[in-house]
Amino acid sequence: MSSHVSTVARKEFDDAGRSKLLWSLIGLLVGLVVIGYVAIWYTVDDVTAAEVLSFLGTPLQVILPVAALIAGYMAVVGERRSGSIKLLLGLPPNRTDVLFGKLLGRTAVVGLAVALAFLVSLVLGAVFFGSVPFVDWLGFAAISLLFGITFVGLAVGVSAAVSTRGKSMAIVVGLYMVFVALWELLTAGPYHLLYDEGPPVEAETWYLVLDQFNPIFAYTNLANQVVEGSIFPFQFQYGLQSMEAYGMTPAERYPGDAPFYLQEWFGVVVLLFWLAVPVAIGYYRFERTDL
Amino acid sequence: MYRRHVVATEMTAIETSGLTKEYGDLTAVDDLDLTVDDGEVFGFLGPNGAGKSTTINMLLDFARPTAGSATVLGYDAQTEADEISPRVGVLPEGFDIYPRLSGRRHIEFASKTKAAGDDPDEILDRVGLSAEDAQRSAGDYSKGMRQRLATGMALVGDPDLLIMDEPSSGLDPHGIREMQELVRSEAERGTTVFFSSHILEHVEAVCDRIGVLNEGELVAVDTIEGLRDEIGGGATMTLALSSPAAELRAVAADVRGLTDVTASGRTLECTITDPSAKAGVVTALADTGATIEDLRIEEVSLESLFTALTNGSGSETGTDARSGTGDGAALETEVPR
Repeated sequence: MSSHVSTVARKEFDDAGRSKLLWSLIGLLVGLVVIGYVAIWYTVDDVTAAEVLSFLGTPLQVILPVAALIAGYMAVVGERRSGSIKLLLGLPPNRTDVLFGKLLGRTAVVGLAVALAFLVSLVLGAVFFGSVPFVDWLGFAAISLLFGITFVGLAVGVSAAVSTRGKSMAIVVGLYMVFVALWELLTAGPYHLLYDEGPPVEAETWYLVLDQFNPIFAYTNLANQVVEGSIFPFQFQYGLQSMEAYGMTPAERYPGDAPFYLQEWFGVVVLLFWLAVPVAIGYYRFERTDL
Repeated sequence: MYRRHVVATEMTAIETSGLTKEYGDLTAVDDLDLTVDDGEVFGFLGPNGAGKSTTINMLLDFARPTAGSATVLGYDAQTEADEISPRVGVLPEGFDIYPRLSGRRHIEFASKTKAAGDDPDEILDRVGLSAEDAQRSAGDYSKGMRQRLATGMALVGDPDLLIMDEPSSGLDPHGIREMQELVRSEAERGTTVFFSSHILEHVEAVCDRIGVLNEGELVAVDTIEGLRDEIGGGATMTLALSSPAAELRAVAADVRGLTDVTASGRTLECTITDPSAKAGVVTALADTGATIEDLRIEEVSLESLFTALTNGSGSETGTDARSGTGDGAALETEVPR
């Protein structure tokens, strides 16, 4: 069975690798890294390659989820609608092999994009700023890879759970909007209703737990642990919580020693949550559906 | 490379028992009991919407039955689907290829999943795709080429059973002949072939037995010869008389060996089941002093049988005007259920 997963994954990689849209997004990501590095080198004096590294956090947190969602949202449902899934399932791979093969294959594509962006940043960092912050670089790359995989899993899970392309796109776009544009309304909004005030820096614990479940916060919180300088999460802000609180990690906001579920490394759990839960739901529904 | 596992049902390629699929109020497949023997070529015939694809989808675990069960090569179609797929070649209905991958890559992929050592070029050649075609992206293929490519993928790994859902769709007459050749040569290699069609002549030419499905129910299963015997000497005899036919209808109806007589104007149409009844009708009419101006006899064709079995809903079967309406009624009573 596992050999079928890798066979399907290789086909997926070949297939997705011929997608022009995906390559444009990868090109955009790498291009932004190049432009950013050149611009910083040109305009800012006295920076180290390690400091410049944190600049990468901005394009990555926007483009990586979008690229990953595009790479994944059609994975299963696209084949169901076109009918190629019948050709595929008429062969030995079963539905489990197909779902995990697709997840693996499309993860590989996104992984390649992350690897390219980071390789370029490593080379340009050395060329323009004369140093190679290898440990920071490797840690940041690993976190970014996990971040990308999370969104691939989210999209592939959704694509397996629904029966039409439109539904898949609606759910995927909707979730992305929730993460980027609606998160504060959905977390600080209820807080406001419950306590008649927006969340202060030292907000109730349940709020800190809930708020950190945004995968984009999880990513920036984690990335800030490994890079110098700071990466701010890309978010629509509605001013519902105190200004100071923006950009603070839950551990910083918690009075005293933070419990383990509010510490920065917990961001890994958050990212794995958004990877595993959609895949599990998608798996459950895909296994039971009539094609 | 796969050894078929030896079980009591060794000689049965496909067996369904009480197989039923309901979509809400609609019953797509109704209590289907079907047996396809090992090594035979079985044609699964029925008009569009009869439930052929739904049945095949249940055999392949693409859809789950509401009731009943099916075995394929002795394995349960639902619980042991993983045992079935390596041994079966499938040409599904309503499939698509991967537009960005080359034809050759498709065959290589199928080979990899079946752990088969087939030469992709040989397979491509067998289904009539040239080396240049094989290098191109399959997205550029015509419908017929896609059908050939999918057929090639089904042939990979020398399957014990070939399941083909409407294999002739998208093929021109030449392609259909090639497909039939292919089915014959697979059958000669000992492969059981199960294929569906809504066109009788595509099935007739290659099948050992056919099963006719209509509105989810199996209405006939027999060999082509058996079905011909079923029709027997069946024919429609049309007589043009010089006087109004209605007066003579009763005379003709008294003759043994016919099931129906209809009169319209000066024309009498008799549905014959016993060949000797033809002369009987002519003699009986002549005895009354009636003048027969013309007489036409049309043999009942297999097509009209198919039409009768499927209540005329198989309009795409090329049903022609030769077969009158009466023969259907005659045959319906004889159809084994």
